[in-house]
Amino acid sequence: MEPTRQIYWNVSQVWAMYALLLPTALVAGYGVYSRWSRWRRGRPAARFDRPRERVRLVLKHALAQRRTARERYAGLMHAFISYGFVVLTVATTVVALDADFGLRVMRGRFYLYFQSFVVDLFGALVMVGVLLAAARRYLKRPRKLVHTDEAALILVFIFLLCLQGFLVEGWRIAATRDSWGAWSPFGNLVARASSRWLSVEAMQGAHAFTWWFHLVTSFAFIAWLPYTKMAHVLTAPLNIYAANLAPLGAALKNVDFEQAESFGVNSLAGFTWKDLLDLDACTECGRCTAVCPAHKVGKELSPRDIVLQLRDLMHGRPREVFGLASANGGGGVTPADGEPTTDVEALKPLPIIGAVPATQPAPLWQCTTCAACMEACPVFIEQMPKIVDMRRFLVMEEAEFPDSMQEAVTSLERRGHPFSGTQATRMDWAEGLNVRTGADVKEAEVLLWVGCGGALIERNQKVTRATAQLLEQAGVKFAVLGREEKCSGDPARRIGNEFLFEQLARENVANLNRHNVRKVVTACPHCFNTFRNEYPQYGGAFEVFHHSEYLARLVEEGKLKPLSDSGQKVTFHDPCYLGRQNGVYDAPRALVQIASRGNAVEMSRSRNQSFCCGGGGGMSFVDEPPDQRVNQERAREALETGAEVLAVGCPFCMTMLEDGVNARRGERDMKVLDVAELLWEVSRPRQLEGGGEKFNHRDTETQLEQS
Amino acid sequence: MNDVLIILFAANGFDKGAQGLAGAGRRLAGESGGSLRAVVLGEGAETLAQEVARVADAVVVADQAELSEYQPETYLNALAQVCRESKPRAVLLGNDTYSQELTPRLAHRLGGSAAGDGVEVRVDGDALRVGRQVYGGKAHAVLELKKSPAVVWLRARSFAPAAPRETSGDVTRAALDIQADTRTRVVERRREAGGESRLEEARVIVSGGRGIGGPEGFETELRPLAELLGAQLAASRAACDAGWVPPTWQVGQTGKKVTPELYLAVAITGASQHMAGISEAKTIAAINTDPDAPIFKHSRFGIVEDYRKVVPLLREKLKRVLGAGF
Amino acid sequence: MNILVCLKQILDPEVPARDFRVDAARREAEQGSANLVTNIFCENALETALQLRERAGGATITVLSYGRPTAEDSLRKALAMKADAAALVLDEGEGTPDPLNVARVLAAAIKRLGAFDLVMTGREAGDWGAGQTGGLLAEELGLPCVSFVDGIEVEGGRLRLRRQTDTGWELFEATPPVVVTVTNDEHNVPRIPKVRDVMMSYRQPLTKLTPADLGLAADGNDYYEVAELSIPQKETRCDFAGGDTLDEKVEAFARHVVEVTRGM
Repeated sequence: MEPTRQIYWNVSQVWAMYALLLPTALVAGYGVYSRWSRWRRGRPAARFDRPRERVRLVLKHALAQRRTARERYAGLMHAFISYGFVVLTVATTVVALDADFGLRVMRGRFYLYFQSFVVDLFGALVMVGVLLAAARRYLKRPRKLVHTDEAALILVFIFLLCLQGFLVEGWRIAATRDSWGAWSPFGNLVARASSRWLSVEAMQGAHAFTWWFHLVTSFAFIAWLPYTKMAHVLTAPLNIYAANLAPLGAALKNVDFEQAESFGVNSLAGFTWKDLLDLDACTECGRCTAVCPAHKVGKELSPRDIVLQLRDLMHGRPREVFGLASANGGGGVTPADGEPTTDVEALKPLPIIGAVPATQPAPLWQCTTCAACMEACPVFIEQMPKIVDMRRFLVMEEAEFPDSMQEAVTSLERRGHPFSGTQATRMDWAEGLNVRTGADVKEAEVLLWVGCGGALIERNQKVTRATAQLLEQAGVKFAVLGREEKCSGDPARRIGNEFLFEQLARENVANLNRHNVRKVVTACPHCFNTFRNEYPQYGGAFEVFHHSEYLARLVEEGKLKPLSDSGQKVTFHDPCYLGRQNGVYDAPRALVQIASRGNAVEMSRSRNQSFCCGGGGGMSFVDEPPDQRVNQERAREALETGAEVLAVGCPFCMTMLEDGVNARRGERDMKVLDVAELLWEVSRPRQLEGGGEKFNHRDTETQLEQS
Repeated sequence: MNDVLIILFAANGFDKGAQGLAGAGRRLAGESGGSLRAVVLGEGAETLAQEVARVADAVVVADQAELSEYQPETYLNALAQVCRESKPRAVLLGNDTYSQELTPRLAHRLGGSAAGDGVEVRVDGDALRVGRQVYGGKAHAVLELKKSPAVVWLRARSFAPAAPRETSGDVTRAALDIQADTRTRVVERRREAGGESRLEEARVIVSGGRGIGGPEGFETELRPLAELLGAQLAASRAACDAGWVPPTWQVGQTGKKVTPELYLAVAITGASQHMAGISEAKTIAAINTDPDAPIFKHSRFGIVEDYRKVVPLLREKLKRVLGAGF
Repeated sequence: MNILVCLKQILDPEVPARDFRVDAARREAEQGSANLVTNIFCENALETALQLRERAGGATITVLSYGRPTAEDSLRKALAMKADAAALVLDEGEGTPDPLNVARVLAAAIKRLGAFDLVMTGREAGDWGAGQTGGLLAEELGLPCVSFVDGIEVEGGRLRLRRQTDTGWELFEATPPVVVTVTNDEHNVPRIPKVRDVMMSYRQPLTKLTPADLGLAADGNDYYEVAELSIPQKETRCDFAGGDTLDEKVEAFARHVVEVTRGM
């Protein structure tokens, strides 16, 4: 006999199932529609280009769940439930194909291997997954989770649905004495246990009742699903498909100053449809907030709460939330309920800044724009750009932002650098060195972009000096802009003054193009990011290198021949704008390896999951409360490695971490050095006293021969 | 006329500023070949006039009821009358609020030229020249005042006092026809509690950094030193952050920007963020154990020693040298 | 109430000392790569006026500058900060006008622009720092003057002015019209204009005049002239207290302290 089973065994009036299907589909469909109808009120965003890459991303992160799996326990639990669900859905589809479309697929080996065995196994896995989830949620109680009744009810629902499935299966196997029952091991378990206590009639009766109960609860769950966080079953893959394919460093949007009715965002209508989809894609996993440096040190900022509280706002009455006209002229949205109104105020969308605790101005001004939240999000929500969007509104429309940031912005406007009160000049660092500038820039093969931090902060002048001396030693014909250099615009942009950023960007690009600059090396990851990801939109096509990349290449090419002899224990701190936001992890580590003779150690958080120094997003200009300093938290991690040197690759990290290490000096002593300084220490000619001020290439070669 | 007239306010007494003003006036009178005259205004002018008479050739007392306390319009009227009568070549004032306020207006009323914040004043042929700092102390300018009289307020305390004369000058009472000008009127005056005045306006600041080591160092070492120097206390961010002193003491990029004559940095390394707050300080001096500390690069003088050893000794020496009157 | 605020555009006072150069022959500072900015005390004055308007209501604020064509930037910024009207008297002369010249031009412009209850200036400018414009302007206009004001209230047609003194503060009652010079205080830190207002400010009208329009001849400086301008040789070298014993070193250090404090 060919293995199969009778569909709808013991079930009469199957039409009732089809009758129930309609309201279920309508309720669920309306749930999906009401979300979708809100997304389309957002402004345009081009997120459907490059379909192959997008499909690949969906496969990797929706199907293979690579980011979800970064947390082992949660990843496993999620895998059990989600893959179980996929298998069960396929199985139900198979039944439908057989019963409703006359495709006789429920038979033979396929029936035994997949429809019986695999499905049975995955059904059990779902239950295990739910138990793991419940244990985590209610016994371990991680702080990052939001504890809602909805979450509990979802777990109960899923557990009961699977349990009912096994009961129905078991009782059918027992009552029909299904000879293939052993292929459904867990169903069979139910069958055997039941046979001992229940009569065939009793099982038949229980089966019929449970079958219908299972059907009703399943349909109820399906109808309810789009209204819960479980909507992520649909929204997450969609959101991953529509993800920003550019590096995290290119996450910010442009503002069209000619067209925009509002600079920055203070209403949900000001966001793009993708931003709104983000809100509905959130699974409430809390990973963004768990990795947020501001949150970690006890500040109010919580990217998760921004997303969730905005999501709740979004699901208020559309006409109140989005207003009757699109605030940003983004597509002429018609009123949802079609009621005409004469009340002008009612036309305006609901302001979101300050509307909920998470979007109060104070937490918005705590973000370092490190993008750890975005890197952590399993469904590719873009939290940080939303924060910057709201900052833009506060800065450009309200002129309400922290005083010390105002000072930095004013200094940027007036002097092209953010360090108000500095007495340093752009060329102080080059004293005694013979550095090309001015008209010689055209002749140079590469431009060393010093940056405000590298030029105007005393400590970083040494880094710039070391970099220049290394380039000189390698025979690189480089030049600097000197007094013509201005801030790249990064702090202005991250603080939210997009207008000022654009001015600086246009001015710098024009100036660089005038000098025919093609290749740029910089020791500042913020400048690096701006050059790489933001200047192309302003006509600046430069090949840009972080100094660690360029120096590592010079070593590789044999143009720098460092004598690796220090052997001190070094740990490297990844700058957010170099590592996570631009994917440069290995070049600085290569330099650290050379300088430490392989004696490098990693901090507990590194590479893409590195922890911010606290200085990005204009935060280095803000005086943080002494007990809420991000830099001290990171310094603590660095000290824990037992390293003698904390290597950095960013002028802001230098300032922040040196401060942080100093504040914890009692614990242990640790030097903070830039990777270029480390390399220069092992590369500079030894016989010249005083740091090799005047460099002569031949001297090194002689020295190398001698050594 | 080649006389030099100095203007003094009775309320201030014959303080260091008044003495310096008399000294500057005496020297200028010598250069121009005139006499040194003084006007003393306000309640109690008589007493001050007797003191001033020891260094001036003539003193006019203006202490009638309308002038008992400072009212800008009334004082200006009175001074214009006195000056018109005595026709001086130059009128010198001190660097107090009232003098600074009156100087340009008095010059205008007398048809003369004014200058302020002078650190030198001299006769150069027919011209009167005033030296002063400009561009926030980055440059030094010499102004040639073209109209007569020259009305100048000076950094009076930086001038050496005048030597007493063998015979005191005549003291006369001015007979002034003063009309009450009620367009503006001072209705309330407040002195801020001494020692708690604004850090930004302090002339001497004693500031401590991380190297102080705790709140005790500020109390037992720096505070007595500051009191001795008439200085305000301040601190670096590190010391404020540590909770040793209140955050209002913080000087630097994210703290206060100060402009004292002397900034005495004790156990402060001098990171650029701190230096940004004291770039307008006239003189920076440092006490630090590290000879390579950046603060020394900005200091005019310094000492490489532990402040715990230096400060007590320094207090003793200053007490002796400066005397109780400082 | 009609308020007029005088604004001066000056060389950025924050230009680092090492970048600061003077043209000794022309006796002027060189601009170099530094920017031109609005004098901070003038901005304090404008901020005080803006706050007065917010509290008292119904006031109009006119900003006026006498300067080079670039001074338009300062006026535009004032408009962005929400001043109501702006006027620029173009300085077409050679060199730097002396304070009396400036006061005469401003006074003539003010008479031309209308009747004002309150005329405000900064206490001094961050370039030459003469601190005379307010006082001379009061004399030219025949008005009383209160200096170093940091707060203004309107009370039944009269003004209450708070001003800083060496030892504390004084409260004035004044009957308009009056001239005040404004000093800085924690309450009159100039506001940051909104970006939208900055963009709008370039579309607002701005009155441009010349001294000739005001019936003034370019007389040159008859008040004072800058005879010399130089950069003092700054002693950057630190004089370390020397000596064999601690006592000797502290003695040397103390001598320095006394020397500096004596000269104050």
